Amino acid sequence: MSERYDGQTYYELLEITPNSGPGEIYNAYQRARTTYSPSSPALYSMFTPAEAQELLVMIEEAYQTLSHQARRREYDERLGLVGPAQPPRSTMTQAAPSAPRAEAAVAAPVLVKVMPKKDELPSGFARTKFSIYEVKPEMEQEIASIEECDGKFLQRVRLYSGVTLEQLSDEIRVVKSTLVALEANDLDALPVAVFTRGFVIQAARAMGFDEKKITDAYMKFFKARKVVK
Amino acid sequence: MDSNVTKMDFSQLRGKAEPGSIIIAVGGGKGGVGKSFVSSSLAIILAQLGYNTLAVDLDLGGANLHTCLGAPLCDRGINEFITNPQLEFSELIQSTHWPNLKLISGSSENLETANVTDVQRSSIMSSIFRHKADFTVLDLSAGTHTSTLDFFLMAQHKMVVFTPEPSSVENAYRFLKASFYRKLRRYEYQLQMGPMIDELTANRTDLKIRNPSDLMRVISQKEPVLGTKLKSLMSDINFEIILNQARTRQEIDLGHALQSTCNKYFGFPCQFLGGLEYDNAVWQSLRQRHHLLMANRQSHLYAQLMSIARKIAKVRQQNNSVA
Repeated sequence: MSERYDGQTYYELLEITPNSGPGEIYNAYQRARTTYSPSSPALYSMFTPAEAQELLVMIEEAYQTLSHQARRREYDERLGLVGPAQPPRSTMTQAAPSAPRAEAAVAAPVLVKVMPKKDELPSGFARTKFSIYEVKPEMEQEIASIEECDGKFLQRVRLYSGVTLEQLSDEIRVVKSTLVALEANDLDALPVAVFTRGFVIQAARAMGFDEKKITDAYMKFFKARKVVK
Repeated sequence: MDSNVTKMDFSQLRGKAEPGSIIIAVGGGKGGVGKSFVSSSLAIILAQLGYNTLAVDLDLGGANLHTCLGAPLCDRGINEFITNPQLEFSELIQSTHWPNLKLISGSSENLETANVTDVQRSSIMSSIFRHKADFTVLDLSAGTHTSTLDFFLMAQHKMVVFTPEPSSVENAYRFLKASFYRKLRRYEYQLQMGPMIDELTANRTDLKIRNPSDLMRVISQKEPVLGTKLKSLMSDINFEIILNQARTRQEIDLGHALQSTCNKYFGFPCQFLGGLEYDNAVWQSLRQRHHLLMANRQSHLYAQLMSIARKIAKVRQQNNSVA
């Protein structure tokens, strides 16, 4: 990657300051693309189409670098705008609060390598979107072989995977009171079968379990109880 | 390139003195883009804002600023100053409809004055430079005659009027390029860099010099000390862009594109001052020989002109507060 075009940094190329936030960078990029597009009237007799094309390529490269937090950070370091170990100036991005930014700065050079490691938990552990929990073979066995289950069992599964009611409610967009009713077997407070079934599917999926198995088992219980009533 | 750069240049003398006013030059290469309209309007608005303003018609071969301002024909203008050495500059000044606005007209029956000698040109420039006021607005001629370029380069605010047509864009760019090289010639003489720059321009293809920005970079690489000096001398050539007769929003946005193109091409910051809408009322009022701003203050155009004038006035206030 060439760092400078005609002695210009990416910031100079996009005509912004090194303090610019993501929004400013995007706007400057759009403006530059229009200015140096082949049909732009502003280029006439100043830049040849070949030179304009060269500028467009550089503008694209500048945007690809500056719009990506880690790449931008690396580029800034090479320009000497920020020291490698120092936390960045808080003015670097107006949008991001300073604390996560500092964290990203330390992790930035290895960020890409960290990402694939997400699946490499210590053996005997599993993860949901919200939690990491210890896998218990007997519990897994129970879930895999379940034929019929009630709300109490759903609650046990949730507690086993370490997900709170609030997290689940946020994730599947079902109010907490409904989830409480579901786990407490308070069928009067639950909607008709088709909706309840949807909730259970969503909940099982959010926690990363076999949604068909659990939903079928629960609906057996749900329909039996509804009929009895 | 042109070799008849005046060696009796007053710029060195002027360099020591402070100008008597803030000088605004309005140029633009092509005829009919609205240089006279823009300069007269800016002069009027600056006068209305309370600044003592002098408008000077330097379109020596085709003066019409007095018509734009609705001033009567006058038998004593810049042409008489050129031909009659006895005449004082202050004797040329005539008043206008606006209390703070004075005019030096170019109206005359003298048909010879489009071609001024170097001495005559320098004398006009020194007189304008010494004139005491808040603002002096120069209305320049079309084309890239050396007099026009010198008048343009003596100003602190070097405004270029574009319209959104390729012919205007081309001519305005040519005007800017000519101004740049005219100024470069002046300083390369002072810094004794002439032979070196000639050599560079002769080998421009090998050295990949495509524009002034490239040229300045190569000079800085070869001669770091003189290059930096030259760069700082050239950096006050901050062109200001006005886009006139815009008919759509996209055409006003063209101003930003022009600014960016100039920045990249010349390698120093140029500023887009603002866009002016196309308005039929302009030529209607011109036909009646009074200025649009005499009566019509509710138009978009008035607001846009006001915004440009305020930007200039603000720069003056900032400079004063620094001083």
